[in-house]
Amino acid sequence: MQAIWAIASSTVGEAVRRKVLLVILLIALLLLSIIPALSILSVRTETSATISTIFFVIRFTSALIAIILTIYMIPNEIERRTIYTILSKPVQRWQFLLGKYFGAVLSLAMMMAIMTVLALVMFYFNHRDAGKLADIARQPVLYLVEMSLLTAIAMFFSTFVAPLVNFFLSVGFWLVGTVLNPLYDSFAQNPQSQPAFKLMAKFILNVLPNFANYDVKNPILHPGVIIQNEASYYIKTVGYGFLYIAVLLILGIVIFDRREV
Amino acid sequence: MKNKNTLLGVAAAAFLGQAFLNTAEIHPQWTKDYSLGKTSLASGLGADQAFLELLGFREFLAGMLWVRGDTFFETGNYDAVLPIIRLVTMLDPKNVDVYTTGMWHIGYNFTDQEQRSDRRYLPTALALGKEGCANNPETYELFYEEGWLWYHKIDDDYPQAVSWLTKANNHADIPPARKNLMRNALERDGKPKEALDYLYTLLDQAEKDYRNDPFYQTNNNLQTIKGNIDTSVIRMIQRGNIAQENGWYATGDYDTKPPFDVGFSAKVTVLEPKILKIEGTWNVLPVGTRIRVILRDADLPNAIPGSMNWDAMATDVNLDPPRDETYMQDQLFVRNRHFSKRIDMSKDITMYPFAKDKYLIEFYYNPRSAPPHIQDKFGWNGEGMTDKNFMVSNARPDNERVMYTSIEISKDQLLQEGQFAGRPVVLKTKNYRDSSDLRGSNDDVIMVPSLRNTQKPAASAAPATNGKGQ
Repeated sequence: MQAIWAIASSTVGEAVRRKVLLVILLIALLLLSIIPALSILSVRTETSATISTIFFVIRFTSALIAIILTIYMIPNEIERRTIYTILSKPVQRWQFLLGKYFGAVLSLAMMMAIMTVLALVMFYFNHRDAGKLADIARQPVLYLVEMSLLTAIAMFFSTFVAPLVNFFLSVGFWLVGTVLNPLYDSFAQNPQSQPAFKLMAKFILNVLPNFANYDVKNPILHPGVIIQNEASYYIKTVGYGFLYIAVLLILGIVIFDRREV
Repeated sequence: MKNKNTLLGVAAAAFLGQAFLNTAEIHPQWTKDYSLGKTSLASGLGADQAFLELLGFREFLAGMLWVRGDTFFETGNYDAVLPIIRLVTMLDPKNVDVYTTGMWHIGYNFTDQEQRSDRRYLPTALALGKEGCANNPETYELFYEEGWLWYHKIDDDYPQAVSWLTKANNHADIPPARKNLMRNALERDGKPKEALDYLYTLLDQAEKDYRNDPFYQTNNNLQTIKGNIDTSVIRMIQRGNIAQENGWYATGDYDTKPPFDVGFSAKVTVLEPKILKIEGTWNVLPVGTRIRVILRDADLPNAIPGSMNWDAMATDVNLDPPRDETYMQDQLFVRNRHFSKRIDMSKDITMYPFAKDKYLIEFYYNPRSAPPHIQDKFGWNGEGMTDKNFMVSNARPDNERVMYTSIEISKDQLLQEGQFAGRPVVLKTKNYRDSSDLRGSNDDVIMVPSLRNTQKPAASAAPATNGKGQ
């Protein structure tokens, strides 16, 4: 456990020093600070447009940070040969991989926390609605689980593909995953859909990581929407994320264990 | 790695676990509670817009598009507003304002040069409202708007209005004043007793509201309801509804007795291609009668006498109504027992394509749609009205009494083509007589009772018609 923690903390340090990630974070913070000005364009829906845009900025930049942070982690260690100095110590490969993963998730959590706090402050100063802040803060929590899953995907691919390919694979998985639910619903509810296509849609829904599950902004944007058992939904989606992350990390460990470095 | 198989077994179990959790537990609840609407994937978006939408930028994009739509609206570019309304409702199905404005815009604002609505869009407006209700079941607003469209725009199928307004009333967020429309809808649905009972339930609530919060607004609502109850009771007594309910209508002298013969007749003259002059008689002196006139394809699907089966047509939000169908609807305003109207359909080719060979000109009058001072004689259900030639009771459900007749006209006649080229085309109902024949004839003028003045006007007081119409 100590080895994993040591690798994770050094990964956090590396992430903080990486300029590209800091630039992305800075852009996100700038965007978050100007959202109230953009939202006046949304006639009579300023509040929901503001919140929706806050969520978009946090989600999009977090995904970008998660992917860029992760895709270079293992390849860079191998390319710079720093991995030898780590693996020559009493550190197992699986510990190295888990340490890297947890380090990436911690870094991501820190950056998302900064973005969320700034968004909440900006929202409060523009709307003076303190009661809404707790509601708004709920969505980034689930986004963190979503991004942890995305990080696991990028980590899994980084064990056997090059960073550029990994980038496109991870982005592709994320984009498809964010529309899985509405895509499947469109198929399922359309009476003209062929049964074979419906079956295929169901298969894809079960196999691919479903990022759409973490989009829970509907009741936050629309206070009239009343949801029963919201806590149980949150628990299930977090559980779903952990199960999928476990699958990806195990597969990554197995592949990385056989890889020549 | 020694325990590789164990690890792979754990991974397989976790994979199955996530699939089960996703399919059986998470996805159904997400669709029910967190999906932003039934139109989740917007078609018709540009690539950049679709990208933003997919990333959850929907509400902001919807707001931007709506601002753009407003610009089009201000410049009168109504056609351009339509796809924007559709896109915005797809992107942000919770934006009630866009649904409301969209329904109104589609239902009312597409008109010809003479401000007649293009009613081929009505099913689209209704379908948009239905979709809005499905996406926003938590608020009364779109149910109310749908009810209003049936009540005011379609102005014939009042059970639909009552049904939608009932749904609106079942929502806790409906303002008290908006509940009053239901009374009018029930009366127009031919149910004055139910309307009165409904007013009494509103009165109970209004009195409670006033006791809890004795301010201008609650008092105003209370007084409005009391006034409406007074009016309804007086009308029910004078029109004989209470007598009907209690079985003494036959022996009493009520304003609706005897049924008055409105003496409808009509003549249609094709003045120029696609330009009609419609004139005729309606033996009701007080101003306020509007007779519906429709010119439509003879074989129009879903047509019913004097209207369309709008609800059956309102299945999907189709922004491009059938371009080969012709459906013109207007009102003939009666003055001095005579109506005359010039209807020019020559300037709006897309609205009046005249693509078929046979057409019907329909004349329809439903006493349920009449203004109160006319209904004082005709009654809510037309019991005080008759027409010896055109009164029918099989045009609507429940033997509703309406005046209805139709005249066939061919495309050649309408366009003055073929054997009708250059020739005036005149079509009449069999009983048509020129309005000048009515000059000086006062004996059959309807005397509409007044709530304020019970003295019946002298027959000689009726002004003579000038025969020119409006």
